[in-house]
This record gives sequence, structure tokens and C-alpha cells, in this order.
Amino acid sequence: MNRNLCCVLSASFAAVTFSVAAQTPAVPPPAAAPPPPAFAASNMTPNGVRSLAATCAACHGTSGNSVGGAVPGLAGVNKEYFVTQIKAFKEGKREATIMHQLARGYTDAEVSALGDFFSAQKK
Amino acid sequence: MSMNRRSFLKSSGGAATVAAMGGCASVGNSGPRVVVVGGGYGGATAAKYLKMWGPHLNVTLVERNAEFISCPISNLVLGGSLTMKDITVSYDALSRKYGINVVRGEASAVDVEKKVVRMANGDSLPFDRVILSPGIDFMFEDIPGLNNAAAQEKVLHAWKAGPQTVALRKQLEAMKDGGVVAISIPTAPYRCPPGPYERACQIASYLKQSKPKSKVLILDANADVTSKPGLFKKAWSEMYGGIIEYRGNSRVVDIDVRTMTAKLEVDDVKADVLNILPPMKAGAIANPFITANKRWCEVNWLTYEAKNVPGVHLLGDALQIAPAMPKSGHMANAHGKTCAAAVLALLAGEQPNASPTLSNTCYSFVSADKVVHVASVHKYDEKDKTMKTVPGSGGVSATSNELEAQYAMTWAKNIWADALG
Repeated sequence: MNRNLCCVLSASFAAVTFSVAAQTPAVPPPAAAPPPPAFAASNMTPNGVRSLAATCAACHGTSGNSVGGAVPGLAGVNKEYFVTQIKAFKEGKREATIMHQLARGYTDAEVSALGDFFSAQKK
Repeated sequence: MSMNRRSFLKSSGGAATVAAMGGCASVGNSGPRVVVVGGGYGGATAAKYLKMWGPHLNVTLVERNAEFISCPISNLVLGGSLTMKDITVSYDALSRKYGINVVRGEASAVDVEKKVVRMANGDSLPFDRVILSPGIDFMFEDIPGLNNAAAQEKVLHAWKAGPQTVALRKQLEAMKDGGVVAISIPTAPYRCPPGPYERACQIASYLKQSKPKSKVLILDANADVTSKPGLFKKAWSEMYGGIIEYRGNSRVVDIDVRTMTAKLEVDDVKADVLNILPPMKAGAIANPFITANKRWCEVNWLTYEAKNVPGVHLLGDALQIAPAMPKSGHMANAHGKTCAAAVLALLAGEQPNASPTLSNTCYSFVSADKVVHVASVHKYDEKDKTMKTVPGSGGVSATSNELEAQYAMTWAKNIWADALG
């Protein structure tokens, strides 16, 4: 249970959660911890990493080539820099509006593979 | 008439093929045929990524509209800070750069046995795999007074960006100062959870400047705001106090177009502009694949194949959502890529990715230059066979801010390019 619940759309249970969230913008305390998800192991094959990298494209451009504007491209990024920055986002050490929330959705191994992928993309 | 349309379609398809041959993409080959129906955020993305990752494929994209018009950020046209031109994108790059056969027309049915998509003009498009991204249809029958063409011309949804967006803006411009705009929201799930609340902000922003005695009344069938509630309520009280009034548990069950009255379960509300978002369901071509609540299509989250008919893939707002998954353009774009990868694997006789990840970001403009977001990351739970959010990830803006307005505009440009460019 976390802030993602503001996306939950069904039924009154969600609505109750929403009204609590409306008064306290911070994370509402979990009523009863749900069982941890049984996520499938990360797919580190080339096609698996390609698909994982595609989850960045809506904001950062296809294959990391941003069309410009306020969101930086990722194509050709230095891998070490990429991995360090994502880690800083995860740990709240780099200020962000959204990247700290998204970075926490990816494991360290996935971030490393994404660093390899984007550093190899042509600008 | 049908002969003319048919020959037009054939020649336009041919023109696309010729144009594509001038580009880098290979086309007209004997690779497997994939037909994608619907060129919105889901379908256009699926078609592009199919060709980008599988240049050997023959990909056809069927779309009824001449151009892509974005629903996300279309509320800014109502607020007056953007025009329709700003939210319109051509389909040309899909044929020119990727060699996709873009067919303009209306697909009427999928013949699963014969493996063809039947077109309204009598044509048929053969496929090895078919992907349907039909978006939503409106359940006008749930609001009897709105269940006829004349009423629908006067009381608009403007929930598919296009002519209705322009028409609703005109209604707002024509309204007298001191008028009431009522926006009704159906019970969730519906397309774009934060959209109606953003729309209230955008309309209020326009009224505050141009007709300050006017009001925006939100009639929400849900008990409370369904997305970013704290952030929207803060914006309403800080920026639009005295203009926006929110009423939860207020489902519109009927309307009287003649008196511009919305009928709720307990009372009636008169307005000068009625903007009714009817309950929604999967677009008509997906009807045979609807398995949830007579409205939505359940899919296998690894392949996006219909639960009841493997071999037919479905995307976007038409799907029965997984927990905490919004019906959003961004999510449809994410579906499109996962589905494209799965279709490529299946056509090659390989296993689809057993560990797909989806991300989502929904930006909402609470004014012309301030934005709030909600973001999430979803991974496949192999025990429950569904997508779930990653614990500890995701969240909403700390407060509305101008920096995210820049990010939101760049998001729009990048996701349009990701789907169409």
C-alpha cells in the first residue's frame, strides 16, 4: 500500500483511502500489509533489456533520443554517470520532481543494464 | 460509393507503400502480416515498435481519423492556452520512416477463423496476428436523455479530442458571465482518471479571467476525487475558490437537454453548459473479447492476447485494468511496446518476455503554467498473473509547480514522437 493507490479506481475502499490521503499528503499508514508481490525475475537478455529501456522512452524519447525541451535524452550517456544518478534519485540524494519515484521501480541490476543500453545508443 | 472508397483505400495504401520504399524501411516483403486497428497511443506505438524491432514484418495500421489528435493536454485547448494545431500530429512518419501501411478507414469486425479484419467499405485485411487498440465507446444508453444524435450535438463529452473539443470551447465562449458549467464524471474505471479534475481547473482558469462570476460544478459519481485528490483540492481552494464546487456521490442518471438539466439520484442540477462524461466501455470492434462487467477485455499480461481468444491482442483503455493501473495514454503506449515484443516473439516461435515492466506518468495542468503528476512502475507478478506496482516506487507531486509544466510539455512531444515519429 503506498501512494500508488491514488491510481486505484475501483469501489469505495479506494475512495476511503483517497479522503485520508487528501488530508495527509504523506504516505498513509498501511492498514494491513499486503503480501509482497511475486515479481518474475528480471529479463536480462538483449530483447528483455530493450523492452525495459522502452519504458523510459515516453518521457526521454525512443531509444533515449529526446526531441528536446526540458527532459534530457539518454542516448549516448556515460554508463557510470547514469548509474550514479539513478542511485542518487533512489536514495533521495539528487533533488527531483518525479525521478526518485520512478527510479525506485527498477532494481540495481536493471539500472546497470539500462546504463549499458543507453550508453550504446546513437544520438 | 463503396467501389469509390475501396479504390481510394487501395490507391492510398499503394501510395504509402511507394512512399515508404523511398525511405530506409523495407516493405512489401513476404514477412508475417500484423494488422493493428486503432492509431491512438496504444496502436500507433505498437505499429511503430513492431516495424522498428521487426523490419521484416508487414504491418498495417487502420485508423478512422486523418490525423492523430492527443487527448492528453487537450484540456489546455478548453482553457485557451493551446490550439488544436498544438495537439495534432500526422501519421505520415509511420509510413515514410517505418514502411507501415497506414489505411484510413473504419474496421468493423475481426474474423478470427479466416484471420481477416473486415472493413466497413467491404475490404478485408488478412493477418497472421491482429492487435486491437480501439479505445473507448460511450454507454449513452445509461443516460436516456443523451441517447440520441440531437442531444449529443448539444451536450458534449469532448472525451475524444477532436471536433468536440473545439465545440465545447465555443460553448464556453458563448456562455454568459455568471453561468454554470457542470462536468459529470462516471463511476471509475473510465478513460484518464485525473482528466475531469484537470478539465475543471482549465475551464475555471478561463472563466476566472473572462467571466469571473461564473461557476464550475463537478458532479462526480465517485465518492471522492479518484486521482491526485489532495493536489486537486488544494488547487481548487487556492486558485479557484468560489468558482469550482465539487460534489461527490453525484451520479448523473439522466439529462433533459431542453432545460439543460442534469438529473442526479437525489436532485436536479441546471447548468448553462453541460459536459457529460458517460460511462465507458471497450470500443465496438472489441465486443467479442469483452469478458469483464460487459465493458472491458481481460488479457494475458505477457502477450496482451484476449483471455477468451488467444491470437487476438488488445491494448489500452479497452482493457480490464490490473490493480492501480490507470486507463491513460502513457499506459497504452507501454502496453503497445510490450505487445509488440510479444507478437515478434510469438511469430518467431519464441517465448514472450516473462518479466515485462510498465511505467506510467500522468501530468495534469491545474492552471496554464502549473502542473501536478502521478507516476507508477508496474511489474509482472507470476503468482497472481497480473501487473502490480513496485512497492516503494511511484507517487505524486509534492505540490503543483511550474517546472513540471515544462516536463509535461516535453513529455507530450516525446511520447508523440515515440508513437508516431
